[in-house]
Amino acid sequence: MTWLVLTLTLRQLLGQKRTLFLAAVGLLPVLAAIIFRAAAEGDESAAEFAAQVVLNALVINILLPLTALVLATAALGSEIEDGTIVYLLSKPAERWRIIAGKLLAAWGATAVLVLASAVIGGLVTLAGEGESRLLVGFVVAIAVGSLAYSSVFVLLSLVTSRALFVGLAYAFIWEAVITNFAPGVQRFSIREFTASIAEAVGDTTPWVFDADLGTTYSVILLVVVTAVGAGLAVRRLSRFELSEAP
Amino acid sequence: MSAEEGTAPEAAVEVVDVSRWYGNVVAVNGISFALDPGVTGLLGPNGAGKTTLLNMIAGFLKPSVGDVRVLGESSFGNPDIYRRVALVPEREAVYDFQTGHQFVQMSARMHGLPDAGDAALRALHMVEMVGDADRATGGYSKGMKQRIKIAAALVHDPEVLLLDEPFNGMDPRQRLQMMELLGRMADQGRTILFSSHILEEVERLGENVLVVVAGRLAASGDFRAIRKLMTDRPHTITIRSSDNRGLARTLMAEESVFGIELTDGKIVVRTNELGAFTSAAPRAAQEVGASLFEVRPEDESLESVFDYLVTR
Repeated sequence: MTWLVLTLTLRQLLGQKRTLFLAAVGLLPVLAAIIFRAAAEGDESAAEFAAQVVLNALVINILLPLTALVLATAALGSEIEDGTIVYLLSKPAERWRIIAGKLLAAWGATAVLVLASAVIGGLVTLAGEGESRLLVGFVVAIAVGSLAYSSVFVLLSLVTSRALFVGLAYAFIWEAVITNFAPGVQRFSIREFTASIAEAVGDTTPWVFDADLGTTYSVILLVVVTAVGAGLAVRRLSRFELSEAP
Repeated sequence: MSAEEGTAPEAAVEVVDVSRWYGNVVAVNGISFALDPGVTGLLGPNGAGKTTLLNMIAGFLKPSVGDVRVLGESSFGNPDIYRRVALVPEREAVYDFQTGHQFVQMSARMHGLPDAGDAALRALHMVEMVGDADRATGGYSKGMKQRIKIAAALVHDPEVLLLDEPFNGMDPRQRLQMMELLGRMADQGRTILFSSHILEEVERLGENVLVVVAGRLAASGDFRAIRKLMTDRPHTITIRSSDNRGLARTLMAEESVFGIELTDGKIVVRTNELGAFTSAAPRAAQEVGASLFEVRPEDESLESVFDYLVTR
């Protein structure tokens, strides 16, 4: 069942206009990298630009949460909206299998889109001048961060019909604005956890990239957020009611 | 069907004093019935609570109060029930990018059937969709989507089949073919409950009928008895003629007429026997030499028929 749901969802996601829109947004980090290479004079700033602008500001701060939000809320949310969810729910399968298929599809699609943008943008910026470890750090962080985001946003689509708006508020008001003014709340930000993993795996020097949270704490929190999100989604789907409110 | 207070343990579907409300709106109000194998029509006007009732039986809605049991088990939050139960939803949406065959085969595979390909083909044959099975469902007509949804629901050979407005969008031939199919399935011992707001559909297929109006069970049992109730109810007919006074006097003598009112240039007649009155009226007009300008039955909408059943 999980495999069937996974492949079905990937076909659904790939056929949607929103995926094309996300692919277009994914070109932004690549464009930034090309402009940087065209204008760069000294190579010493390449690693810094790749880490801080291309990979952190554009990919982790914007592209990753946006892509995960749009795809993960569509994975289950669009089926709830158009009523096709009944074809999954009317099968004698444990509900965790449906959530697993939806989550894996959302994660896979998000990771592929965001990683393609990050790797191409990063490679163009660095232009083969070392610091490949930096890129590896961000690749691992994106892979892990996109799973946590997907888990939360799949859950959100089961909790509210306005999942997209709530998710946008979380990603671009809470994570992007409020955590900057109130450093204590960074502990509740998937973006901060993701950046910490990038720093730890990428082994970056502080002038290149310096995250705010400890690595162990971030890894534990990412695992917890993913597990709790998926667990609550299974629980929610198990008691899910088809809305026929008059 | 053993209607009302049905608590027989062997019943395929048992609905016991079930209500369901959304906020302050009561969609289903204290309904009880039990269904045995055979075809049962769930008849009622739009918004009567038919879909809510079917969704509760299918386990997709939890009753606010009361108990729903299908094949002896509670259906809500019990995915295992779908090995033996199927629902054909009213909503038209299917996965538009899949072909009909892919859609039905996916259903078979999700049921874990050992030979999903054969099962899909058999179901497609049953609804006469083999010829169009390789086309994308996005290009299907409404009737074809209904049939492919029914094929997907039949693929695992369910004992209980619930269908929400299954004949919507079907042409008369497809409708007849589907009715025959459901009839055959009922003859094989399956329990089939289908909803409709069209009296004639229920009349042709359902020997047993549940009439739901405004969330309440207005009538249940043999269709012929309920049909008789519907036709024998009081009818109001407005007549305009060249001699209203003379015609009213003559009509008053008719046995089928129990009330008559002469007002505002028209006669308002009340009758319990519509058939008898429709032959009496022209005869009476001929007798008094009056020309009939208008003979118009009032309150003939299905809703008013249902209203009568509720308030009788």
